[in-house]
Amino acid sequence: MANILIVDDSSTMRKIISRSLRQAGLPIDDILEAGDGIEGINALQTSGKTINLILSDINMPNMDGLEFVKAVRANGYTMPIVMITTEGGEDVIADALASGAKDSIKKPFTPEQLGEKLGGLL
Amino acid sequence: MSLNPDIAESTKFSEQQLAEYVINATQEVFSTMVMMEPSDDFPLKDPITHFKCSITGMVGFAGTYSGVISMHCPIVLAKKVTAAMLGMSEDEVADGGEDLNDAIGEIANMLGGSVKMILSKGGLDVKLSIPTVIAGEDYTVNSLSDIDCVVIPFTVDNERFLVGLTLKKED
Repeated sequence: MANILIVDDSSTMRKIISRSLRQAGLPIDDILEAGDGIEGINALQTSGKTINLILSDINMPNMDGLEFVKAVRANGYTMPIVMITTEGGEDVIADALASGAKDSIKKPFTPEQLGEKLGGLL
Repeated sequence: MSLNPDIAESTKFSEQQLAEYVINATQEVFSTMVMMEPSDDFPLKDPITHFKCSITGMVGFAGTYSGVISMHCPIVLAKKVTAAMLGMSEDEVADGGEDLNDAIGEIANMLGGSVKMILSKGGLDVKLSIPTVIAGEDYTVNSLSDIDCVVIPFTVDNERFLVGLTLKKED
């Protein structure tokens, strides 16, 4: 069973993603949430849980998704990171992948699409 | 990154083009994120600017194209939509609450993202604004421009909501 960290500044999107993860039927133990990259790093360091997968928004205040991916890797964490984006900007996604993200998924998505994307990463 | 070539050639949008963008984006967002299947109707002949007991979410475009996409929804329906999006019951969605505003803002954001991706393949030619949400018992929303505009009525759960798109290609 996996622990998943959702990093998104919209509490609504965090709820939607969390609901979709549950509906996708993935083997999930716990879902943790963070409102930006800084909170995301804090969650990794202080939650006391092994995070198996991170889903991260790109546009966030304080520390955006790109900086967050770099910070995760700089802190030595190796779990897969999947970027979630509304706009699918190819250059931004390419930067995220180059910085250590594993994949990306564009909103809107169905629980089934999310499950297909993440199933092989857990 | 390049513009979508077919769209880049045209300097003016037809009503049919704009309607197609709105219908495709709305049906995609609702069927995937809201788990609802709204049916579309013919574009309104005149835009509606005055709303009662409603909520409006809107996102602006800037860059190679400028404009705004907006969704106008009765509060009663907006609560159903929010509940469906967030996996809550309608009773849990408070009038004027954070969940309601955030959900409608997020829908506007995704509608804007869908239209942006039609206009701009790479996504860099057009920027989206932060979503804005307006709600109230009686309010007016006006666009102070005569740029190309379409408003499509949709029906879901026997309630009607509107999605409007105004768009202009910058010189």
